[in-house]
Amino acid sequence: MNNKNKLISSMPVIAASYLGPALTPNLDGAWDEAQLPLNPDDLVQKIMGQPMRRAGRFIKMVCCGALVCLKSVPAADLKEKKIGIFLATGLGNVDEILPFITQVFKHEGGFPSPNQFANSVSNAAAFFLARISEIKGVVLTISQEELSFESALWLAQSYLESGEIDLALVGGCDVFTPTVADYRERMDLRPDNHRSMSMGEGSSWLLLGNTNGKKIGNILSVELDHNSKTRQQLSSNENILSECEKIADHLIGKHDKQKIILPGFRLIDMDHSFFKDKGWKVEDYLPHCGIHPTATAYGLARALLSGPSAFFVHCNYHAAGRRALVAAEST
Amino acid sequence: MSKGTIDIRGWGAVTTLGWSAWESAKNLLSGNVRPADFCTSSHLTNRDLKAFEVSYTGNPLKKSWAMLDSALTEAFSRAGLTASEIAESCLLVGTTGGLFIRNEYEFTEIVRQNPGKESPPIACRNRGPGEVADAIAQKYGIGGLIMTFSMACVSSSHALVVAAQLLHQKKIRRAIVVGFEPLLNLTLQGFASLLLYDQEQCRPFCANRSGMQLGEAAAAVILEENGSSKKSKAAYRFAGGYLFNDNNSLTSAGVDGEMAKNVIGQTLTAAQISPAEIMAIKAHGTGTRDNDLSEGRGLVKVFGDNLPPVVSLKGAIGHTLGAAGAVETALWISCLEEGMLPRSFGFTQIDPELGFAPSQVNIPALAGAYLCTFFGFGGTCTSYIIIKNL
Repeated sequence: MNNKNKLISSMPVIAASYLGPALTPNLDGAWDEAQLPLNPDDLVQKIMGQPMRRAGRFIKMVCCGALVCLKSVPAADLKEKKIGIFLATGLGNVDEILPFITQVFKHEGGFPSPNQFANSVSNAAAFFLARISEIKGVVLTISQEELSFESALWLAQSYLESGEIDLALVGGCDVFTPTVADYRERMDLRPDNHRSMSMGEGSSWLLLGNTNGKKIGNILSVELDHNSKTRQQLSSNENILSECEKIADHLIGKHDKQKIILPGFRLIDMDHSFFKDKGWKVEDYLPHCGIHPTATAYGLARALLSGPSAFFVHCNYHAAGRRALVAAEST
Repeated sequence: MSKGTIDIRGWGAVTTLGWSAWESAKNLLSGNVRPADFCTSSHLTNRDLKAFEVSYTGNPLKKSWAMLDSALTEAFSRAGLTASEIAESCLLVGTTGGLFIRNEYEFTEIVRQNPGKESPPIACRNRGPGEVADAIAQKYGIGGLIMTFSMACVSSSHALVVAAQLLHQKKIRRAIVVGFEPLLNLTLQGFASLLLYDQEQCRPFCANRSGMQLGEAAAAVILEENGSSKKSKAAYRFAGGYLFNDNNSLTSAGVDGEMAKNVIGQTLTAAQISPAEIMAIKAHGTGTRDNDLSEGRGLVKVFGDNLPPVVSLKGAIGHTLGAAGAVETALWISCLEEGMLPRSFGFTQIDPELGFAPSQVNIPALAGAYLCTFFGFGGTCTSYIIIKNL
């Protein structure tokens, strides 16, 4: 029985963007959990050229993050291309759902806002993104608390391979919603199953597929291993190294690339010196975006935009013990 | 778009008509259909909105699990899956509310247990739509790919099309597609706030329609690559799956029917089936003006004067939102299994803007192709064909 879903062919990365709690696109801006969430309206104005008055914060974050990615590509490269949108989110638009349901209970069914309900519907953000980017066709919202970005990448590759789409705009977005304690509970963060770190948010995107234009890298492999393992097995430095070495041997062989591990928020025992001794650098992106369900998107987009040619493996696992590994290279 | 045909190995459903797809179909075909009524579940605070509520003695959270268990057990049994076959399967769930019911139930219980005290703010502690898939995977030991689609009314119909596509590409071996939607204050009040709720009756394609009524349901449909099973030939197949997202309107698929026509056209082309071969249509038919016009006009544009019988199930079980794809598919196949198609409930008068009446009598369900359509919030639509083999 094969309980692994593994992406076989690589996907060129045409563009990437990352937006974290500091709301500064493609930059590691300073931020503080206690000050979150920051108001995104200036960012919306800057990126979209007009306000989104009726949209909630989640929708604004989705649109801003994705547009930064799309706008970095010459329009000619996107002309007449069938683009699919794959929006991954862990918790979706809680920022709209909570005030709406509060109003429902407050007034015993009195006067909740219809606009707020419309925006709280799970795929409203993908609709707004499709509308502003003039994309029709395959638009999917994958909404699961963990590994949703990895799943979206896997699914996007399947659609690219089928020929149904030419390009895939794949992103992960989650927004900070008070309180911190509630946010942690929704993410099933317990003392023994995640790194001790501030909560954050992000909207980070990759544009994947073949164009005649330049690319910034490749997603080489997405491996979703559904065989449940213990936290000890999944966090073991030796096991992580072994998995990463296997992937590197298979994908890049003896190519002289810097090898980098991007650890997800469930990996709590990463010994940087252990990996360094074995020829791997550990690049810790989480201090720049904080813990959020789709932080993988931030980590990968940031790595792909970081410049020199390198080989990355993003490692994380689901609280239920399922591992996800994404291998990528920057070019 | 899924181009090949896929076997439908099993299905199961819990609706207001029964705790199995079989029982639901029996009641539907015999006309034993209760109209929507005021809700009694302890977590539902507004008693003015009628809905299709599944009868259950116990708290609403336990009811959710009982519904999911019943639907899955029926589907596994019908497919004859062994534990190891279940374990190697993939799980695709379509839901909008997921287990948000937990937040509503816990909140109303706190209020109930503290009479006279000021209500606390409602907390949102549930994890999200993916909580359903995680719990199912854990309970049944499902070890394949797990994915949750939360895309309003097309959540599980999209999941079925994606599953068919992945099977066609041989990316997965078997898919268990689940649709689940409990009744929530969130959705009842939400659709009421949009003035899309009919207080009296859901009347799809009827001139007197004035909105939808919600229903709760759970369903599972098991798909496999055509001919991959060592067991007997599948009696039903899934073909021509097509999903599409328009970007013109958040709430309407366009009342000119062009989008519906195009989507159905793509499905027929992919399945290599002509309009004349369609035996009947399981329409989305919500009973809202915009949906019925866009869908009805689309159907007329495709089929012209030769429109096959059109049936909406929502007058009998309500709109089950994200579960609608899996639920209506499972119920439809159980009707095919019984050899009869149900009439469309809630209709009294032809809408001159549409010019047709949905099917008003039960009709024989012969071998052949049956078109299913779904339209949803956010410009989404799905369509596919279920083929009943000889």
